[in-house]
Amino acid sequence: MTDSSSIPADTRPQTRDLRTPVSILLFLLALCSPLFLGTYAVHALVIAMIFLLPAHGLNLLVGYTGMLSLAQAAFFGIGAYCAALMATHFDTSFPVNLLAAVVLAMAVAVPLGIPALQLRATSFVMCTLGFVIITQAIAKNWISVTRGDMGLSGLPKPTFSLGGLSWTASTAQQSYYVALGLAALATFVFWLIVRSPAGRNLIAIRENETLAESLGVPTWRYRLAAFVLAAGFAGAGGALYAHYISVASPLMFQTLYTTTMLIIVLGGGSGSISGVVIGSILFVALSEGLRIAPELRMIAYGACLLLLVFRFPQGFAPYLSKLWDRIGGQTRKEGSA
Amino acid sequence: MSGGVSVLDIKGMSKSYGAVKAVDDVDLHIDHGEILGLIGPNGSGKSTFFDCTTGLARPDGGKVSLEGQDISDWSLNRIAREGRMLRSFQKTVVFKKLNVEENLVIAGQMFTFGGVLSTFGIGRGTRAKVKGLREHARELISLVGLDQVAHMPAGNLSGGQQKLIQFASMLMPDPRLIMLDEPMAGINPKLIERVVETIQYANQKMGVSFLIIEHNIDVVTSLCSRTIVLDRGRKLCEGTPAQVIANDQVREAYLGG
Repeated sequence: MTDSSSIPADTRPQTRDLRTPVSILLFLLALCSPLFLGTYAVHALVIAMIFLLPAHGLNLLVGYTGMLSLAQAAFFGIGAYCAALMATHFDTSFPVNLLAAVVLAMAVAVPLGIPALQLRATSFVMCTLGFVIITQAIAKNWISVTRGDMGLSGLPKPTFSLGGLSWTASTAQQSYYVALGLAALATFVFWLIVRSPAGRNLIAIRENETLAESLGVPTWRYRLAAFVLAAGFAGAGGALYAHYISVASPLMFQTLYTTTMLIIVLGGGSGSISGVVIGSILFVALSEGLRIAPELRMIAYGACLLLLVFRFPQGFAPYLSKLWDRIGGQTRKEGSA
Repeated sequence: MSGGVSVLDIKGMSKSYGAVKAVDDVDLHIDHGEILGLIGPNGSGKSTFFDCTTGLARPDGGKVSLEGQDISDWSLNRIAREGRMLRSFQKTVVFKKLNVEENLVIAGQMFTFGGVLSTFGIGRGTRAKVKGLREHARELISLVGLDQVAHMPAGNLSGGQQKLIQFASMLMPDPRLIMLDEPMAGINPKLIERVVETIQYANQKMGVSFLIIEHNIDVVTSLCSRTIVLDRGRKLCEGTPAQVIANDQVREAYLGG
């Protein structure tokens, strides 16, 4: 951040700092949108916020640590199956299942990450792709536990109970608030991680791993920590997804899920929290919105992606921060705009 | 060998790449508070020797002791973190997108926070430690004279200024020993003077020992009390800079093929 107070007083009239009112407005908009949006639009937003969770994890890997992992979909699926199995066998409540999904995804990430992180660049990417294929194969073939292609269905909608009180998110509108709460919580946790000293070390690894090593940073341990944390985010997303659509099935491991997460992060702007938040809403909403023309949907989606790659190679994040500066009343010097 | 334990003691260091013996059975020790020069023609094995000593490359043989402790099989990050022995790279490297202050804060973090887990902290203690690191960073930024650019991205600065950032970063953890690989290469004469002064300051006021690879013989003469010459991976001779320069074998190594 540049320190604007050290710049001598500008004689030109400054626009007012509108960041606080704009933030409040956006917050109110997020709270009220189910009241005026149709059920389908609300559903699309719920899906967007669910995908934000694994996308945060992926952003930690791609945007902060500088490694591309395709395994987020595997941990998303593991989270979904964990929640489904807990709900069907032990009849546990949503918060318990969510927590279990996070813990299981992180626990599985440790033995997978230890060998995988010995690899670099493309070999690592291939290895993480392998994880998705293996987990999908397990989900399909371990029929006694997973019921194979049929999947585990009939999961209850998220229910929260405290003492004698109990509340179930049965409508799309109610699910929206559950998803919003979790997405906000995950974003807050992500923010805490990246602004901690560890977050600074992760950025150092992304920028120059050998230099970070030479300054005493045990880079391998940090990369493992990032991989495990990213799995936790994906696990939470999977559990929420399973409870929302009430099914956990091998379809969750298909390429579409992996690419959706990648598009959110790369299109939104890797290394930026707000970029990924906007990315999740924009791309999932776009994908859902294009369902009005089903036969052209994927072609139109692909065309939008091509446009994005050529027009916004850095994602939306740089434009967002520029816009935010303008809302804050910081006008650029003449000529440099 | 002189009495007492040396800061760094290396015995029989060897490293081959195929049939080429890059470093061939080299012994070297650095005394407390010493600035030792390491010179030699291009390709004489100086950088390989550095890499093997600091854990960046694995030597084929040899033993490295840091204040009596065997660190031969320690990794680069462990040597820096636990040994407080830091090194620079021939090609200057800084975290280009981060500003000068952030560069230094990163350099100090692993020494202020014990391990990986404690760096994930969010409490008041963590914030106080980071604040302390920032203050320390600003002192060192002043020491190397970069106050004006402390909040500029390091990559936007000149090569010489980046060398100073790199040097200030190595001073963050209160090091025992710093190994510099050609600290003066590619920087303008004015900055050379400043780097020499900073090295002397760190040596005298902060008690840091140095091992310096340098081609600029004036710099070696003004900084080092003792100099070792490497040629084709072997130690050619050893002495004061003046003695070494006068040595016929050394002249031959530099001039002849």
